[in-house]
Amino acid sequence: MEDKKRLTRRDFLKVAAVGTAGLAGACSQIPVTGKDKEKIVVGMSRPLSGPLAVIGDSAFRPIYETWVPEVNAEGGIYVEEYGRKLPIELIVYDDKSDVGTMTRLTEKLIVEDKVDFLWPASGTSFVFAQAPIANKYGYVLITAEGGATSIKDMLPSLPFVFVTLSFSDWYQLPVLAELLGEKGAKTAYIVYIADLHGIEYSGVAGIEFPKQGIDIIGVKSVPPDIKDLSQIIKEAKASNADVFCCFAYPDQVMPATGTSMELGFNPKAWVGGPCVNFGFYHTTFGPAAEGVLGFTSFSPKQSAAAKTLADKLYTGKPEEAQDWWGHPLYWAGLEIWKQAIEKAGTLDQAKIRDIIATEKFQTVLGETWFDNGLLAKECHTGEIGQWQNGVYEVVGPKNMATADTVYPKPEWPTGGG
Amino acid sequence: MLVTFLDIVIAGLLLGGLYALIAMGLSLQYGVARVLNISHGEFIMLGALTTWAFYTAFDINPLAALAICGPLAFILGFIIHRTLYKRLLNSSGSLALFEGNSMLASFGLMFIVQNLALMFWGPEIRGYSYLAFPVDLAGAVFGANRLVTLGFAILIGLTFYFFLTRTRIGKAIRAAAQDPAAAGIMGVDINNVLAICFGLGAAMAAIAGMLISMSYPVHTGMGLEYTIIAIIVVVLGGLGSIPGSFIGGLLLGLIGSIVTYFEPGLALAAYYVIFILLLLVKPTGLMGKS
Amino acid sequence: MKHKPRLPQGLLTTGSITLTVLVLFATLPGYASIYTVILLAAIFMYIVLTLSWSIFSGPTGYISLASAAFLGTGIYTSAIFGKMLPLPVVVGIGGLASFCLALLAGALTLRLKGIYFSMFTFGLVELIKHLMLWFEINLTGTRGRFVIVVDHITVYYVMLVLLALTILTAYAIRRSKFGLALQSIGEQEEAAAHTGVNVTLVKVSAFAISAFFVGATGAIMATRWTYIDPYIAFNYLFSFMPVLMAIFGGMGQLYGPIMGATVFAYLEEILITRFPYFYMLFFGIILIVSVLYLPNGLAGLIQGWQKRVWGARYVHP
Repeated sequence: MEDKKRLTRRDFLKVAAVGTAGLAGACSQIPVTGKDKEKIVVGMSRPLSGPLAVIGDSAFRPIYETWVPEVNAEGGIYVEEYGRKLPIELIVYDDKSDVGTMTRLTEKLIVEDKVDFLWPASGTSFVFAQAPIANKYGYVLITAEGGATSIKDMLPSLPFVFVTLSFSDWYQLPVLAELLGEKGAKTAYIVYIADLHGIEYSGVAGIEFPKQGIDIIGVKSVPPDIKDLSQIIKEAKASNADVFCCFAYPDQVMPATGTSMELGFNPKAWVGGPCVNFGFYHTTFGPAAEGVLGFTSFSPKQSAAAKTLADKLYTGKPEEAQDWWGHPLYWAGLEIWKQAIEKAGTLDQAKIRDIIATEKFQTVLGETWFDNGLLAKECHTGEIGQWQNGVYEVVGPKNMATADTVYPKPEWPTGGG
Repeated sequence: MLVTFLDIVIAGLLLGGLYALIAMGLSLQYGVARVLNISHGEFIMLGALTTWAFYTAFDINPLAALAICGPLAFILGFIIHRTLYKRLLNSSGSLALFEGNSMLASFGLMFIVQNLALMFWGPEIRGYSYLAFPVDLAGAVFGANRLVTLGFAILIGLTFYFFLTRTRIGKAIRAAAQDPAAAGIMGVDINNVLAICFGLGAAMAAIAGMLISMSYPVHTGMGLEYTIIAIIVVVLGGLGSIPGSFIGGLLLGLIGSIVTYFEPGLALAAYYVIFILLLLVKPTGLMGKS
Repeated sequence: MKHKPRLPQGLLTTGSITLTVLVLFATLPGYASIYTVILLAAIFMYIVLTLSWSIFSGPTGYISLASAAFLGTGIYTSAIFGKMLPLPVVVGIGGLASFCLALLAGALTLRLKGIYFSMFTFGLVELIKHLMLWFEINLTGTRGRFVIVVDHITVYYVMLVLLALTILTAYAIRRSKFGLALQSIGEQEEAAAHTGVNVTLVKVSAFAISAFFVGATGAIMATRWTYIDPYIAFNYLFSFMPVLMAIFGGMGQLYGPIMGATVFAYLEEILITRFPYFYMLFFGIILIVSVLYLPNGLAGLIQGWQKRVWGARYVHP
């Protein structure tokens, strides 16, 4: 009797488990409405979980989560063809930071959900994988996190793809080399992550630094999983180089900074890759961040538009979520997209694509346009930034700088805390 | 030359101490309780992020966070074993089936803990600097925080060793590791012993997380890579041997340090070559019984 | 023993069901939506991974974590030869390359048992990944590679053929002397050796056969990924997934891993698209609930039902 009772309870739970799965399956059969033109449906495959979530969450996500409600509050985007404003609806999927899943979900968005527009996945290799798919289906793709010299060679064959983020020779490292050369730096030691990003930056530095009279006296590549960089920092210290560059991601730039402090390694310039530009770099190291150089693209001191954007994005939010490099570029990308739709007066991808490719737009950066698929470097409002008195100032190029480069950088504070 | 040598060895031990601590925790869970706990790293993450939160929000000293994280993680681990793994042990027909099922459950646990932490903290990378200044040891320079980490790892390792050899419950754990039936004869409630092992493993993970947060950035997705290191060290040291895990951890840190000195680009490849070779030479780990 | 007289009838039913399902799948691209085809190809991939994993690991109890190494080998084969050679040849090379890798790895791991074997195979994945990374950076000067794009329908049919071959192979092995030998190794390896089973040969060849299908799958599925690098190709999640899916499905029956992979993959697809912010939470809860209430996997559930139906028949003949 007792036995039987237990069995039925178990059976119930089994049925419940299977039922839940079935119900979830049934839900998926409800089609997503996309063609009634009550709204503009935009689809994205984003790394909400997995290793890339770290980047995606503080880079493009705060931008679209601020921009879309702002546009919708005004009723949406005016499309002449429908004679009215259409609000934007977002469909976001989690690609688990897996390329195979991302490409599949991208195709799901296009062929099944039939979204009106595709917004970008996160990460350079993800951009590489997604760009040919978007192009094949004739979907305009304005990318966010990701950019590389190698994409320049691809862009002519990908007319629907536009890259917003600045990168190594577009136009960061030439500016960095010039700044450091002017200040009298003579030698540099480079550590780079053994991936597309690191190889490219160390390669471009190898071309640009010698042009300004800076000798590269040491180069070391580290695989992505290595976090204990003390051996390498010690070697850099022993080399006595004026400039130390760490071209890697936050999970390595952060310990590289910490280890430099711990080992009392005080080069005249300390340059870090994507990490120094984020607010969390400053919240982590506090006053120790003083004088560290990194990449940037704007400062609220530059213009009223820049200040408005910074206020909109950062006021009342934790400092950790700030990103002084990518945010204005992604924002400008969305502004261009909206204006192109309005100019085209239709949601036809090819027409919108032609407008984006050939015309100029007014964005937070000022007059903005694409140059062979890349956001023109004339539109950049900054390349190199430096932490000064707790503020991330633009120090290069000179004509956009909000402060002069501090060189040599102050020594790390000792005593911890 | 001597300084360089000293440098490499100590740098290796600094990292190895952390590995040892992480691995000892897993060794208890896998070696004794037979749960290949894939969610081990999530307890490390919880310890690290809690320490970070206490330090940045309430200015609580990271080392003092030990007194909060350790017991909390122990209680959490204990409860999880009493509710989840004990039931699995009863419902699985064989030990092999239990190992499979408990691994699947620990994967589930990993997903749940990670998602909850993500909802609470978000995926951003966090860090703080604490005791980040150089200490000169006979010409070789090290970060003060890392020396403290090593000191703690050794202290905890020793405390734990005495706990295992000197106390009644420690002896019961050792007996259970050897043979669960014999432990039953000794008059100890085997389920309690297993739950204590699981709880202790979780507590050690949380403490390791606290120490990690002093030198490395932390985020909600950091767990799995530490779990993998822990599994490798446990296997290297020999299954069920807690001293083996301790020595295995130090050894792995040392190997990493030496290889990085010569060619950082090949460090991880060399790591696995050495790991594979060691397994081929000693198929049951350094201190494991065949 | 009791069910013996019913076996031929059961076999006939199984056969006709299999045939119907096969025809259904073969004609599917004609009437189903294009995304169904894309999704099914991905699910087929997981089934092949899980089933071929269980060909070796199921009966022997050796938990292999080498699947990602075999899959990655196939992926790189496709990236390197995809532009030069016809697709079937590329898929064949992918399978063969994995086959050879498995022969080598199998021969090396003869002395290892249990978790030591598992971690050796895991180390293999990581070792190949890092060697590949170093090799690409220092010798070929690239990091990632573009893979030639093949249309959905072709990918679907290639995966369907691979799936059918894997099921056939798994079935044939189960019913053969070879399968019995594998089973006896799992039960008592020393005893198996004493009864004249060539333990080494049986183990290594089963390992290599299972690797073949995984490698071939990698070669064809890589064409859907467009761009790969060592971290993408040798992702260790592809080592864990087949193990989890097989346990989830239950390993006692041939249909266990198939069901496990199908339900697991489909569930994941639903969760990442319907509940993207809570995908891990729901997935975790489902895993724990199912392992608590289905200790023998999905296959155990089916067997329970079967037993009840048959049991009832015996009570009322």
